[in-house]
Amino acid sequence: MSDRGHIPESRQREKPRADLQWIGKSMKRVEDPRLLVGKGIYADDINVPEMAHAAVLRSPHAHARIVSIDASKAEALPGVLCVMTGADAAEVCDPLPTWASPPVLQAVIAHDRVRHVGEAVVAVAAEDRYIAEDACDLIEVEYEPLPPVVDPEEALTSTGDAVLHPERGDTNIGLERTLTFGPVEEDFAAADLVIERRFRWPRSGGQPLETVGAVASFDEGAGRFTIQCNTSMYNYCGWMIASTLRVAPHKLNIVPTLAGGSFGSKMFVHKVPVMAAVLARAVGRPVKFMEDRIDNTTSCDNHASDRVYYAKLALKQDGTLLSLKTRIIDDYGAYLQFGVGQHGNALSQCVGPYRINSVEVDLAAVLTNKCQQGAYRGFGSEVANFVIERLVDAAADELGVDRIALRRQNFIQPDQFPYLIPTGNMYDSGNYQAVLEETLKLADVEGWRAKQAEGRKEGRYIGIGVASCQERSVFSATEFWMWNLEPGVEWTSSPDGVSVKIDPTGKAFVTLHSPFWGNSPETVAAQVLAEQLTIDPSDIEITYSDTDQGLNSTGPGGSRFTVMVTGAIVGAAGKIREKLLRIAAHLMEADVRDLTLEDGAVQVKGVPDMKMSIAELADKAHYYRLSMPEDLDLTSGLDATYVYDHPVTTLPDPDERHMGIFYPIMGHSCHIPVVEVDIETGQVHFLHYAAVHDCGTMVNPMTLEGHIRGGTVNGIGTALFEEFSYDEAGQLTTALWTDYLIPTIKESPADIVVGHVETPSPFTEYGVKGGGEGGRMGGPPAIAAAIEDALKPLGVTIDSLPLPPSKLRALIREAQARSA
Amino acid sequence: MERETISVTVNGRAYERAVEPRRLLSDFLREDLRLTGTHVGCEHGVCGSCTVMMDGVTARSCLTFAVMADGADIETIEGLGTVDAMHPVQQAFWEKHGLQCGFCTPGMLMTAVELLKANPDPSVDDIRDTISGNLCRCTGYQTIVESIQHAAKLMREDGP
Amino acid sequence: MKPARFRYLRAESVDDALQALADNPDAQILAGGQSLIAMMNLRLVKPACLIDINRIWNIGYIDEEGDGVAIGTLARHNDVKHSPLIRERCPLLTEAYESIAHHTVRNRGTLGGNLCHADPSSEAPAVMIAVGATLELMSVHGKREVGAEDFFLGTYETARRQGEMLTEIRIPGRGADGWAFAEISNRHGDFAIAVIATTLRLANGRCEVARVVASGVGEHAARLKPAEDALIGRPIDDARIDAAAAAAAGAVDPHSDSHADAAYRRDAIAALTRRTVSRAAERCG
Repeated sequence: MSDRGHIPESRQREKPRADLQWIGKSMKRVEDPRLLVGKGIYADDINVPEMAHAAVLRSPHAHARIVSIDASKAEALPGVLCVMTGADAAEVCDPLPTWASPPVLQAVIAHDRVRHVGEAVVAVAAEDRYIAEDACDLIEVEYEPLPPVVDPEEALTSTGDAVLHPERGDTNIGLERTLTFGPVEEDFAAADLVIERRFRWPRSGGQPLETVGAVASFDEGAGRFTIQCNTSMYNYCGWMIASTLRVAPHKLNIVPTLAGGSFGSKMFVHKVPVMAAVLARAVGRPVKFMEDRIDNTTSCDNHASDRVYYAKLALKQDGTLLSLKTRIIDDYGAYLQFGVGQHGNALSQCVGPYRINSVEVDLAAVLTNKCQQGAYRGFGSEVANFVIERLVDAAADELGVDRIALRRQNFIQPDQFPYLIPTGNMYDSGNYQAVLEETLKLADVEGWRAKQAEGRKEGRYIGIGVASCQERSVFSATEFWMWNLEPGVEWTSSPDGVSVKIDPTGKAFVTLHSPFWGNSPETVAAQVLAEQLTIDPSDIEITYSDTDQGLNSTGPGGSRFTVMVTGAIVGAAGKIREKLLRIAAHLMEADVRDLTLEDGAVQVKGVPDMKMSIAELADKAHYYRLSMPEDLDLTSGLDATYVYDHPVTTLPDPDERHMGIFYPIMGHSCHIPVVEVDIETGQVHFLHYAAVHDCGTMVNPMTLEGHIRGGTVNGIGTALFEEFSYDEAGQLTTALWTDYLIPTIKESPADIVVGHVETPSPFTEYGVKGGGEGGRMGGPPAIAAAIEDALKPLGVTIDSLPLPPSKLRALIREAQARSA
Repeated sequence: MERETISVTVNGRAYERAVEPRRLLSDFLREDLRLTGTHVGCEHGVCGSCTVMMDGVTARSCLTFAVMADGADIETIEGLGTVDAMHPVQQAFWEKHGLQCGFCTPGMLMTAVELLKANPDPSVDDIRDTISGNLCRCTGYQTIVESIQHAAKLMREDGP
Repeated sequence: MKPARFRYLRAESVDDALQALADNPDAQILAGGQSLIAMMNLRLVKPACLIDINRIWNIGYIDEEGDGVAIGTLARHNDVKHSPLIRERCPLLTEAYESIAHHTVRNRGTLGGNLCHADPSSEAPAVMIAVGATLELMSVHGKREVGAEDFFLGTYETARRQGEMLTEIRIPGRGADGWAFAEISNRHGDFAIAVIATTLRLANGRCEVARVVASGVGEHAARLKPAEDALIGRPIDDARIDAAAAAAAGAVDPHSDSHADAAYRRDAIAALTRRTVSRAAERCG
């Protein structure tokens, strides 16, 4: 196992316990009241005096040279304040932040060349958005079309005019290399059977209801920008925006707003805040740039994985899985914001929950004339789940054994954790059998098998799918660069911080240093702090810092936040508890070792009368310094900050035998949908849906279930409907929400039956694991399996998503033609 | 610039404003009246985030010109309840976790209020039919249905 | 995503609207606006002038007319959907409304506006043709009637002339004994990938009258005569239904788009024809 690296000691302070008072409760959310009465302030709700509004003229071409721009009519339009071309913008700002190595240069406004439909060509600031759009209509741009690169496999061989970034060489391959972990060739040589499949995973996107927006202002006196924006990671790497804007990092303050959903898409937005800022500086007034839906669908930061897989799974005749080889072509679109971080991510759990001895991944990240990739619920690992689950299903079918039985046979066993997989990542804990058994029970698989058999006699096509999926959480920064050949942004920290203070009256204040983007950070913080200090959550107020006040915080994404905020609160609360006890010990003339904190008061053990409430102690701590001993640590007040580092991560091996531990807090899920397929129309209906997740110790079962169900419906979208579809000319044919098909309630199961198994992490505080993405990571392979099972009598194989009625019907038609 | 003067009542308060005919009701409410609780998600009539009540029935404010609302009685999320005195529908969404990011919520709530006015005891199918034009990307909808059922119960218990 | 400027005129009466249409050749009528405003927000259309007819108080009716129904052009979809009179006299339309748009859109959207918009994948045009509806068009020069079958000419194109306004939709008394509507869309409530609206009348066990009308598979809703011919004069049995379905599929020349390819639309038309004819025949009793 030494080839897979080493496992550090756990730094866990708080063990999971049965007697927790707040952790584990389905407490109503702290965030909700203001959202329910329409008083939450989202990006577009910000209104500052003298604020102007931006709109952007976008490229109608997938790939073209910009020959000339005539903006004179727009400039003459009353109400227009500024018309900015790419050339103008290049004079005042540098390329956008990128993790790619070598970098892929991306300008906030394209100059010389446009690389995808929707790319910004001219930006306008005007008195209102209506006028700004009127101005865009008046701008004349002459383009010289270049060959569009649309098919990812054809992009492998592009040269000449079809190359998007000639400065990186005469190729559209952004990065191509092979990583081998363990004895792949030996394992394949020893195999009795090799399953080979080609899979196609479609380009989709988080598409939260709220787009990305920013209000920027520039204080000329101070030479300083303030940008209010619905971005995350502002306290992690917000300074990169300052570099783009050519100001020193302390000359930029990024202020977070609420985000109306993210699902990864607002992880580190770069185009919108930079656009608003350059315009604000140019017009000398605050500027709001709020993407409209077309701005967002055509030119957001975050179209998701768009992959072709050629996959091979080697196994023995007895069903033992041996090795996995994949050739991946990933269509990144025109730019590489996060490098190929999505493939670092996918290495974290590419063997699924199975004992697979070796892995080879051959990756070609290609650049095409499409919107760039970013993050969406899974960040690349959801695709790996689909691939391994489809391969295991295919292997079971090939061997003629039950799909569930083959899973059971190959599961990593509960006593094998912590477990290092061939890529070096660690699975901290798990009990995959227990999750499977619980799901089988909730799904009533036996009952549905009987209904399936009955149905087949009546010409009904009912299918049951099972997927056993990993749900990695808490990424480490190494995932972003581990694939790089040359050093780029090679960070190894990915912490989250909190600031906590108790005021003189005993009320608690928590400052989070990452934003609300739709999940429940305030509720988590309140529950954990209440647990730590034995206070009532209603006595806790939660606020968010800006970059001026912020502590190093990576923020939500990669299902990090619950684990990381919990860790940070435990750290900060520990400091406060210690101070409370020392003050109490002094005031009650007791030994610190005889004191406990219970029910909001410090108590001398066994002496019920001797106690002081937190409020009393806080009052003393704030205002009675002279009643305290001469102890330099007993400064006035009661406050603490704590930056919690990633609980367990290691560096990649320099020889790349493994990639270290980078995504180790490993949840697990089993999804069992039951579907019925109308073979004449290709329509899919859900008859039942069961999902069991193991996210370690649950902080709030209610909100976890919310994530599971919501993620599952995202997965249904990916599996059945959603696709950013580009035609041969590189036109995005699904830019509108009439065409990009987000599931409505009618496409969603009426009842997703959710169950839980709790296998605590030995590495995180209280044993908590993340659970923000699992629904979308488990749904698609399970749904594909269910559809395939339904159509088994016809011999239909599912290896490509999405499957709207037309595509599924085409597969059925082909199968019917084959058998006719 | 040609403007029309319109008079509208919003959440019981009368307003008179001059607007361009092309001004969308959503922008009128959000920008002119600073009632930003009504959200704009797609601006082409698909998502339902911008749903408001107009003369007692729901309307998509992004598919309505403000001039068309001249003389109308409009209710928005701001008129529904307050943090200290929530409408039963708001209370129910809180208790049943009918929201996550909160962006679709105002539109969802207005649609639910309209349904419950007409049908105090809606079936699951009634609820699913009525809110099928409101997208939610967070919840998977199930807890929204539970919230509306719970709201119906709270309102029935409260009595008229 | 904001509309371009336009002149706004508000009509208080039908005469007002017709005069405004006559005076402003560049004007378009604004009814519910649920399609028009979306297209304007996208700047796919930029009408120079809109005539708002929403204040005309007397054109939103749903009235008996003989043994049929007269529907004012401004009747809102939800009023039509929930009208007991429509349910009794034109149940095909009531059934179709299960698939038309979503609740809030139906609050504002109007039947007249929908027909004049003539979206090629809209449901109501197919229903109007299937039931033999008549559309009343008025201008300052007078009124005329056009059969629904002759009204739809192309994508967003109708027989309505410059200066004319659709004022009333007249649905004849039940001309058929059996009826059925079926639609396929990717998501419920979306514009259709394929629609079939079927009406049948049987006499002595044989099909006397058949209308099989498709939407979503051509430039406009249209009867599929070969499918009707396959039914007329014969008892409706499984073989006839299959023949009609095959004829229907052969009669359409559908397009491909992001929602479905042409082959799918043809398959869908066959399936929907089979289902609607079968259900319509059952309803004939």
